[in-house]
Amino acid sequence: MTDDSTLTRLLAKIAGGDLRGIDELYERTAPKLFGLILRIQRDRSLAEDVLQDVYLRIWQVAGSYAPDVGRPLPWLCTIARNRAIDSVRRKREEQVPVYGRDGGEDWMARLADPRDEATAFLDRDALATCLGRLEPAHRDCVVQAYCEGLSRDELAMRFDRPVNTIKTWLHRALASLKGCLEEVT
Amino acid sequence: MSGPDESGPSGLPETELRAAEYVLGTLDAQERAAVEREATADPELRARLADWERRLSSLMGAVPAVAPPPELKAALMKSLPARRPDQIIILARQVRRWRFATAGAGLLAAGLAAFLAIGDRGPEAGRYVAVVQSGGATPALIVRVDTAAGTAQVRPIGAEAPGGRSLQLWYVDAAGPKPLGLVQPAASRVKLPPGASADGIIAVSVEPPGGSPTGQPTGPVVYTGKLIAE
Repeated sequence: MTDDSTLTRLLAKIAGGDLRGIDELYERTAPKLFGLILRIQRDRSLAEDVLQDVYLRIWQVAGSYAPDVGRPLPWLCTIARNRAIDSVRRKREEQVPVYGRDGGEDWMARLADPRDEATAFLDRDALATCLGRLEPAHRDCVVQAYCEGLSRDELAMRFDRPVNTIKTWLHRALASLKGCLEEVT
Repeated sequence: MSGPDESGPSGLPETELRAAEYVLGTLDAQERAAVEREATADPELRARLADWERRLSSLMGAVPAVAPPPELKAALMKSLPARRPDQIIILARQVRRWRFATAGAGLLAAGLAAFLAIGDRGPEAGRYVAVVQSGGATPALIVRVDTAAGTAQVRPIGAEAPGGRSLQLWYVDAAGPKPLGLVQPAASRVKLPPGASADGIIAVSVEPPGGSPTGQPTGPVVYTGKLIAE
């Protein structure tokens, strides 16, 4: 995976309108961003639209990236996640949400699995530790919401619980995570 | 175990939970849009969102990469040149650089032509002029700014609005763009935002008739000019 200084340099080039900059950034980051988008927007052709839209957005706002807002890869990934979630929220609210076909992946195992790109994201061990302290169902809710872009309603269907229960679980889990992360980092 | 009637306090305030759920992605489209709208005007909310993004971001490392189809990139690269980078962001950044970096270092991004104030900045409050233009030689507007009086006089020369659209004038400083009003066919006087100084840039964007509905530029920036001491 590409180091922070390379990505930061590319973003500065893109902010100056350099097409070669975005070409190289795309080569280095598109698989990661497409992976994130596809987990959330499972319709492949819509996911491709989101990816295009994300790089267009990066082209337009690269100038607003500054290292003090965080590291470059998470910044790019956050743009991709937000666009993907917007895309499924719009789409799914037009239809009756039909979800719950699979139980979700084992994201915790993936989080624990060291990857070459893991160093691009801070505090991986701290987050894994703190997620590990949550009640299993609450943890699954948080992790599947984040990685798969599920809404409260969709979580309620998947976990077969009322929406209010899901909301309570999420709020408890988030409060506990915040406290735990402050403690262990 | 938890039951449906359970609503015990999580210990976090509602605003904190809303920011957390926004980042988690569990809010519906309307709630998401509301958070985004509020965040543009609320630095505290922006800080909360950034904190939650940082807390959870390592989960993004758990999601495996997937190679997109190769033809996607060609289509993307073809569509980019027609879409300009967000010039207001570039301008606000330039102003930050001008303000905090050494004088005279201003590199103009994205081929924008503007006048540069090099060297002595002059008195904090006083009279300045900006020749506001696009890349060409013909000025679009002359803006005379009196920072002591907090007013600017706008004289249109060659400014042209595309059919059915309005041209809107902005004062852009490190904090971002602030609306100054629409460009009128005749000379007009506008009030500067409080705290406006000679470090700002005057920019003109194309907007829907009557001006930007959001209070921020929504269309392309067609003219810019830097203030220079008179």
